[in-house]
Amino acid sequence: MIFRAVEDADLISRVRRGDVEAFNLLVSRWEKRVFNYLLRLTGRPEDAMDLSQEAFLKAYQNIRKLDDPARFGPWLYRIAHNEAHSLFRRRRPETALTDLSGGDAPSERNHAPGFPMDLSLAVTAALDRLNPEQREAVVLKVYEGFKFDEMAEVLGCPVSTVKSRLYTALDLLKTELAPINTRGTNR
Amino acid sequence: MIHPTEDLRDYAVGELEADRQPALEQHLAACGECTLELDRLRLTTAALRTLPDREVPQRIAFVSDKVFEPSPVSRWFAGFWNSAARLGFASACVLAAALIVFAYHSPLDRGPAVAQSANADFSKQVNEAVAKAVAQVRTEDARMVQQTAEQMTKAAIESANLKYEKEYQARMVAVEESFTVLQKRLSSSLMASNDFRDAGAGQ
Repeated sequence: MIFRAVEDADLISRVRRGDVEAFNLLVSRWEKRVFNYLLRLTGRPEDAMDLSQEAFLKAYQNIRKLDDPARFGPWLYRIAHNEAHSLFRRRRPETALTDLSGGDAPSERNHAPGFPMDLSLAVTAALDRLNPEQREAVVLKVYEGFKFDEMAEVLGCPVSTVKSRLYTALDLLKTELAPINTRGTNR
Repeated sequence: MIHPTEDLRDYAVGELEADRQPALEQHLAACGECTLELDRLRLTTAALRTLPDREVPQRIAFVSDKVFEPSPVSRWFAGFWNSAARLGFASACVLAAALIVFAYHSPLDRGPAVAQSANADFSKQVNEAVAKAVAQVRTEDARMVQQTAEQMTKAAIESANLKYEKEYQARMVAVEESFTVLQKRLSSSLMASNDFRDAGAGQ
């Protein structure tokens, strides 16, 4: 990560001098992570792709406002986070901040715990049961590997709030995935 | 027994500070309930990580296009403040632009004057050269005239001298002839006189 940050900082300095290809290199290093982050927030590849493009475009336009190039990752995810929430507000203004997972109730969309199914499907179903804030905390920590202070930067909230959301989510997931875990443990 | 729930969760997600880890690990060694909770948390996060990342449907790439560029003003302003080298470069560019503008525009405005000035200088130089040449020619002519006059004078003098000498010689010849004639006459006279005297004496 340290080497990556150093290389990112070098690319960012080149981008600031007007080197578009340097920014394309930055994009190639981050696009898969950003796309999957947005995919896990939206659940729709088309939305994730559009939001990714918007996020990178805004990153390019505002890269001179980035104070610390070593914090490019959290800064970029903050932009992606804002883009996603703007989309949610446009589509479902009344529920944008409370439910990002769509209209179906989690219990209606998921299998019953303990029912034999593919592990990834079980994980997807369990994630769908979380509220958007909890799900985003899990995505940033478990899938994106951010530290608490970086998550706080992305989400724009205190570290204590980040930890609260994450641990509440893990407690729920632990319960949801318990039969799978038990079965996996027993194997 | 008090269970360090918060530290246990931080430990499970790799966020427990290093100086607190030995105490927690010591507690885990003695507490089966916390060890089981830690296993559940680790299994849960491990199960979450089984969800694979998907490939990006299409690569995202940007080209150098105005659509993707920040506004020129903000870009210029950011560049102006972010780079001392760019500031120097910009100064050099401004200086270069000023020189170019000066080179291409100012000379056009001043062209006739410069041309006139050049023409005036040239005419002046030509006039001076012509005047100098004329003066030289006049001087040379005067010198030649004087030289010719002197030569003519000298020739005339020589001619006069020659003429005078010829006349003088002619006169001298005439005088000499006259003297000869006179001598002859005198001799004749003397002889006649002598003859007469001799004749008289003889009578």
